[in-house]
Amino acid sequence: MRMAEHATVAAPPRPGVVRFIGIDWDFGALKSASPRYWAFVSLLASLFLLGLMAYATFMTRGGEVFAMRDDYPWGLWFTNYMYYVGLSAGGLIVYASVHLFGAEQFRPLSRLAVLMAGVLVLMALLGIITDMERPWRAAWMLLTPNPNSPFVYTGSAANIYMLICFADLWVLLTGKGGEKLAHRMTLIALPFAIYLHTTTAFVLALNKSRELWNTAVMVPIFLTSATASGIALLMIVAYLMQRLGVMRFKPSMFRSLSTLLATVIIIDLFLIAVEILSVFWPTSSHPGHAARLALFFESPYGWTFIPVLLLGAGAFALLAPRRTRHLPAIQLTAATMYVLAIFLKRYALMAMGFAIDPLGQFAPPYTPSLVEVLIAVMILSIGLLIMTAAAKVLPLQVPEEEILAHATAPGHLHGHASAPVPLEPAPAPAAPEAG
Amino acid sequence: MLCAIAAVLGAALLLLAPPPAGAVGQAASGETLFYPCTSCHPVGPQGTATGLPNDFPGHQVVLIGHDALGEGSAACLVCHDDPARDPGKLVLLDGSLVDITGDVPALCFTCHSERYREWAAGTHGRNQPSCTSSGCHDPHTPAWVYGDPLLPFVGTGFQVRSVSDRQAFTPLAGPPVKAPVVTPSWLVLATLLVAFLATGIVGYLVRGRSAR
Repeated sequence: MRMAEHATVAAPPRPGVVRFIGIDWDFGALKSASPRYWAFVSLLASLFLLGLMAYATFMTRGGEVFAMRDDYPWGLWFTNYMYYVGLSAGGLIVYASVHLFGAEQFRPLSRLAVLMAGVLVLMALLGIITDMERPWRAAWMLLTPNPNSPFVYTGSAANIYMLICFADLWVLLTGKGGEKLAHRMTLIALPFAIYLHTTTAFVLALNKSRELWNTAVMVPIFLTSATASGIALLMIVAYLMQRLGVMRFKPSMFRSLSTLLATVIIIDLFLIAVEILSVFWPTSSHPGHAARLALFFESPYGWTFIPVLLLGAGAFALLAPRRTRHLPAIQLTAATMYVLAIFLKRYALMAMGFAIDPLGQFAPPYTPSLVEVLIAVMILSIGLLIMTAAAKVLPLQVPEEEILAHATAPGHLHGHASAPVPLEPAPAPAAPEAG
Repeated sequence: MLCAIAAVLGAALLLLAPPPAGAVGQAASGETLFYPCTSCHPVGPQGTATGLPNDFPGHQVVLIGHDALGEGSAACLVCHDDPARDPGKLVLLDGSLVDITGDVPALCFTCHSERYREWAAGTHGRNQPSCTSSGCHDPHTPAWVYGDPLLPFVGTGFQVRSVSDRQAFTPLAGPPVKAPVVTPSWLVLATLLVAFLATGIVGYLVRGRSAR
């Protein structure tokens, strides 16, 4: 069955709905939104304006308002770049699972997943442009690219991947091209996603003067961390959307997502353990490696890395038992723990390159300045504003007839998901978006 | 999961083990640190080496780099005199003999004259009177360097230290003082105001009732 048959193009627009580029934008929902919705939007707008003031401060006063110095040149924004790029992986994994591997249980998530991936990459790019301090210099990367620099590849990959995500979202929302085009778009998006995450890891791994970055396992660790944290965030957002009455999902979908999350978490932890053992194994240990990594267990840098191991092991321990894996409280707790763990891991990852510089000098832990924090919050508020508006305006809920049609279609026999089980009713909305 | 926990615990235990120590010596001190020749070749009262100990089976030394000097024991005899005749003596190109406790760098000079001149000028090595080539380099495999040669840096900034894989690593102190972080007071005030406003909104969102 063609997706277009049950997509939004088939029905005439309702009052308050504007059809633009084939998508029904429900601006009427904004008019009827509750005061709590607008209160939440006001909160985000206040944070955005505050960040804008901080941005103006650094544009006029220069680098003196940053805590980034010569010994620690990549601060909060670059950490967030790595973090947001990683988080976007979850969206594509779910999207590709549906359209490439026929995992129909994730189809209700597909629109939300692709939107989230695109917004997260947008936030990552805003962070990296901010980190350039003079945004117009970004043009020089296009005009005079240095092929030896991995930044050329990760920067271009992030831009193209963001465009692909929004094009994918358009295909999913309009139903243009049907399942065939969605499948082809996935064939383009998946290699680009791997390319993006790989080249982002190579930005660190190709520094031979930074011993802890210069490891081949950096790339697979980055991929697994990205996938795990992305899936965890997607699960949190999906629960939030369901709680707010924006979308509805089956419990079996969350259970499948939890199983996938637990699998990726244990692979991620395994790779970290391999790296730790390789560094510390007495007969093969390089003193420089061991001394640098030891800082992350016993020095002021310890608070960044030890919680990564504890939160990661804890999240897996929560999700591992089959008897409790389906419980929303367990799923949300584990997902939150891992999203937090990967943020700390990204911070620790930066610090691993800077704690002892190539001259052998120790640098104390970096704490971002107020201006850096406010600008990072501004970028976060931009992402949240887009998601908040999209929750009202865009038809993110996949039509039930589309889900049922694909679940019962020949060639889509994927376990319990193939059964046309109706979605559970939406609970009473109790959050800002409720309107 | 058990594997991961065991791996993490194992790594933590390994941290308690001391790091690999320096193999032989820590710095160029003028002594031949790699091969303490005089422990087997005692030097006589007049500075001449005595005979080899009884039942000594002979040296088994693997040359890396210096194996280009010849095949088998021929490579040894390029630098060493016949051990049956003059144990503990080094031979120069002109046939003159040098005691193993004598002017060993003169032997290195025969091939590495440029490096010798740099060392003599103080731009290579530690530039100390007692510093000799075999104090830092393994004479049989000169690429192996034991020690922490410091550059003759005379400024007031940092010092650079090249660290061998065979030596324990300890970080140096960081730069003395970092430039201070400047935060405008009006921005701090604006942040406090927005934080106050945000607290109110969050309180309203958490405690208020939905309109629907």
